[in-house]
Amino acid sequence: MAKNKIPFNKRLTAKEIMCLRRKASWVRAKILKMAVRAGAGHVASSFSCTDILVVLYYSGLLKFNPKNHSWPGRDRFILSKGQAALALYPVLADLGFFPPSKLMTFSQNGSILGGLTESHVPGVEALTGSLGQGLSIAAGIALSAKIDNKKYLSVALLGDGECHEGSVWEAAMFAGHHHLHNLIAIIDYNRLSATDFLKHSLDLEPLKDKWESFGWEVELVNGHSCEDIFYAFRKARIRTFGKPLVILAMTVKGKGVSFMENKPIWHYRIPAGKELKIARKELTFKQL
Amino acid sequence: MKRWVIGMRDAFFNSLYNLAKKDKNIILVTSDTGAICHDAFKKKLSSQYINIGIAEQNMVGVAAGLAMSKKIVFIYAIIPFATMRCYEQIRVALCGMNLPVTVVGIGAGFDYSTLGPTHHGYEDVGLMNLLPRMSIYNVSDSMMAGEITKTCYKQSGPQYIRLDREGLPLIYRRAKQLNIAKGFTVLKEGRDGYIIGTGRMAFTALKVAEEMSSASLKIGVIDLFRVKPLNKEMIWQVIKDSRFIITLEEHFVCGGIASILGQFLLEKNAQIPFKTIGLANEFCRKYGTREYLRRLHHLDQDSILKSLQSWLRGLD
Repeated sequence: MAKNKIPFNKRLTAKEIMCLRRKASWVRAKILKMAVRAGAGHVASSFSCTDILVVLYYSGLLKFNPKNHSWPGRDRFILSKGQAALALYPVLADLGFFPPSKLMTFSQNGSILGGLTESHVPGVEALTGSLGQGLSIAAGIALSAKIDNKKYLSVALLGDGECHEGSVWEAAMFAGHHHLHNLIAIIDYNRLSATDFLKHSLDLEPLKDKWESFGWEVELVNGHSCEDIFYAFRKARIRTFGKPLVILAMTVKGKGVSFMENKPIWHYRIPAGKELKIARKELTFKQL
Repeated sequence: MKRWVIGMRDAFFNSLYNLAKKDKNIILVTSDTGAICHDAFKKKLSSQYINIGIAEQNMVGVAAGLAMSKKIVFIYAIIPFATMRCYEQIRVALCGMNLPVTVVGIGAGFDYSTLGPTHHGYEDVGLMNLLPRMSIYNVSDSMMAGEITKTCYKQSGPQYIRLDREGLPLIYRRAKQLNIAKGFTVLKEGRDGYIIGTGRMAFTALKVAEEMSSASLKIGVIDLFRVKPLNKEMIWQVIKDSRFIITLEEHFVCGGIASILGQFLLEKNAQIPFKTIGLANEFCRKYGTREYLRRLHHLDQDSILKSLQSWLRGLD
């Protein structure tokens, strides 16, 4: 599936959508399990972008090859919000980049899997976790592809709080100036950072206008709708000139577990006891 | 223009230009910092030259992305901006991922003497020395600047090149006199002790040693141009029988080659008197010519001479 080209007018079938939703439930359950075992990890941040990662990796949008993770033709995906490593690792293991048995070593002594994205892990492009660096790296990769006339895409997933970093806007200006049509930024826009709502700390609005004024095409999507993410991203695949694309994915931090949703306290906390039971129950896949 | 009649900066970039003509994968990224040779890059190798604007953090990130795509990247800015404004990007992206990016900083020490502390470069060697995997070359003349590009081109990890706008008079008349892989040059054999100079101070060290040497005192000079990794064993072979060792640099003593060699001598348990000459840990808020600032901070030939003579008297 991974290397197949998806036709530009491809639409997701009801069955495919259900498969993606089921996979997202599985990933969230895995996130919870890994974090509980480790007593570490950014659970709410990872739940926030789980659907985005699942759609990118399981719907055929991203090109990659788990058997040859440095395959030159692959799309480059940079998880700039490195704290969502907890969501990326189950996806990569499930797709065969490394043995799924490694997942339960997350943050344990001697593990290669830690709380932030580690470039020694097969399938991970860049060492991230220090916020505000991923978009520049992705822009450099996109520029290189443009110089060499290569067809792969360079994709960076950023947190919204991360957009407080000035370097994000240096990179945004650069990508707009160089018309990096092969660069896609996805903003996990859950309106919360580590300790508070952005509107109380440093508001990003009007975010759409900001990106547009930096020379980007902007798509606003529901970051938990597989169809929305799929159709916004698919557009990027077929563009050959023009502007870089930013997908503002409206998300809910802690998505999937009712008591964690939209609560700043859950940035660092990990459910335990009764909470854990409820969380497990809520994350069980239910067919609509 | 021949390499030996120009400053370090143009010697370095002329040489890079010649390499870039042959290898399309070489990319030069500057943060709006010029050099005469950049005009040729712009005109003839436009796809290999990027003026990224005054945005050093993005410059390092973009360089990392290019290097991850098999490009050989050189980034260029004035020392404080090439090293400090984007320190964390260098730490995480370049060193953390061990990428072949050469950070070229211009303006060692008081080179930008009229521009004040924002443009002085006296912390950079110490800062770069702290970063795992980073190599540091502190270039001592224009001949070396022209030769060092070839070394940078072949290396597989991050490097920091410390350039000076001054590159003359030459220390090395011919490229053959330079062994870059060795990391240092014994410019003058010493019987009694050595002055270890780095950057343009290697030239000053030669002058000072000439003045001080007599029939009863023979002082040698080492040009330590690769500060990291230090060629420990070979340097030790040269200096182990010295009666004294002196370091000389246009950099803070704390964090500079004084700190680096001092630590090395401690590791060796060397019982050799050790004198450090460099800058005190203070901002320089005076303006004027470089010679004036050097005099003010006792880094001119006469001050060094006096300081060493009195120190050596104290040893006897």
